[in-house]
Amino acid sequence: MHHVVLERWSRGASFFHARDPRAKILVALVFLVSVATTPMISPWPAVCYGFVLMAAGLIARLPLTAMAVRSAVVLPFSAIFAIMTFLAGNGAKAAELVQKSYFSALIVLLLLATTPLTDLLRGLESVGVPAFLLTVIQFLYRYLFVVSEQAQHMRLAAGSRGSFLASPRRARHWLRAAGGALAVLFARSYLRAEGIHRAMLARGFRGRFPAFHQPRFRVSDGIFSVLGIALLISLRWILQGSA
Amino acid sequence: MSRLIEVRRLRFQYPDGTLALDGIDFYLDADESVALFGANGSGKTTFLLHLNGLLHGEGEVIVCGVPVTQNNLAFVRQKVGIVFQDPDEQLFMPTVLEDVAFGLLNHGVEPSRAMSMAKAALAEVGMESVGDKAPYHLSAGEKRRVALAGVLVMKPDILVLDEPTTYLDPPARKSLIRLLRGLPQTKIIATHDTAFARSVVDRAVFFQHGKIAGIGTVQEIAERFCWDTRYGTV
Repeated sequence: MHHVVLERWSRGASFFHARDPRAKILVALVFLVSVATTPMISPWPAVCYGFVLMAAGLIARLPLTAMAVRSAVVLPFSAIFAIMTFLAGNGAKAAELVQKSYFSALIVLLLLATTPLTDLLRGLESVGVPAFLLTVIQFLYRYLFVVSEQAQHMRLAAGSRGSFLASPRRARHWLRAAGGALAVLFARSYLRAEGIHRAMLARGFRGRFPAFHQPRFRVSDGIFSVLGIALLISLRWILQGSA
Repeated sequence: MSRLIEVRRLRFQYPDGTLALDGIDFYLDADESVALFGANGSGKTTFLLHLNGLLHGEGEVIVCGVPVTQNNLAFVRQKVGIVFQDPDEQLFMPTVLEDVAFGLLNHGVEPSRAMSMAKAALAEVGMESVGDKAPYHLSAGEKRRVALAGVLVMKPDILVLDEPTTYLDPPARKSLIRLLRGLPQTKIIATHDTAFARSVVDRAVFFQHGKIAGIGTVQEIAERFCWDTRYGTV
């Protein structure tokens, strides 16, 4: 099932997986700020940030191609703004917008792919993110899987009754059926989500997911944070000079 | 013999107006197990959800001498463990071990102790080898066993099982019977499977339109309400 890939990646065993979530969050934040503030007029910033991310992906033993493809999920959103910017006559700015959003998505994906969600949320909580917001995120994440699973079951059921045979001539019929299926999907997901919530309550859930592993900030995490931040600041400074 | 569950005049109506329970009186003593029979929609599951405080109707539900109210839900949920009909709804954590430990961690057990208790519970249901697996990789029978482990690990006094033989093939069903017979807890089992019920419990209750229509041995109830697969042929 493809929707659990990220979950599987986050359970890996590498140097990045072993780091405390707080250290990774800190470095990722610095990376985001660095990318956001770097002028990307020449190709060098993209090459450098791409190289850093690729090296991190290799160290984390993650499949680089799959990571690159998954990060592209943000492109349709940023593309809208990029097209508007391009039409306004600023092609360079449009390209910069796309690059920045793509690198930002990659670093966030890298963080998610090397940190189990419960640990990541614990880390975010300890750096001051409101607990209520984190609970909402966790539920959203959990139910996203529920909806995705339901959708896959329905797709299979529809496929078994010939939905893949829909021809362009019958597009209207197909669209109407798809609309109905979408409504059913949400109704079924809602019921399934209710069932899951009930099962959670039955086992003492009190609004906060328990963490199996209590994160411990070790010396190695400190060294990782300092070196990571130093590298990014240096890179940012060099790229500023080259611009 | 101490009384573990006592239900008096329980009535529950769903928001859409469906009267699911209409004045249920029920009791269960320690060292006793009971099967709930009845057609789909007769109120069995709704009744079970009241025992754990997941639903609150009119009337009284007393578990181990304590009335089920919002204030003592933690106590009640430790005493009554529910294994839901669909194990996929019950297994929501990323790994089997984390899922089994979920309840313990919610009740404040130290993670290292929760982990060893979860491993022991998995061993109890014969699933010690799947601790690191993701729940969705298991077969239906394995999921059922893991869901049971997630409840057994809490050491409940009362084990509630909603349609436990659904999705199970005959070997998995047999193995579940063996497992349940070996468990010391008092059991309440909602099922359509009279042969399964006969192997695990002695007393049976028949639900009809939200009311208890009959109480007796499994054999008596199955015969009285023609509720045996043997009577299902036309």
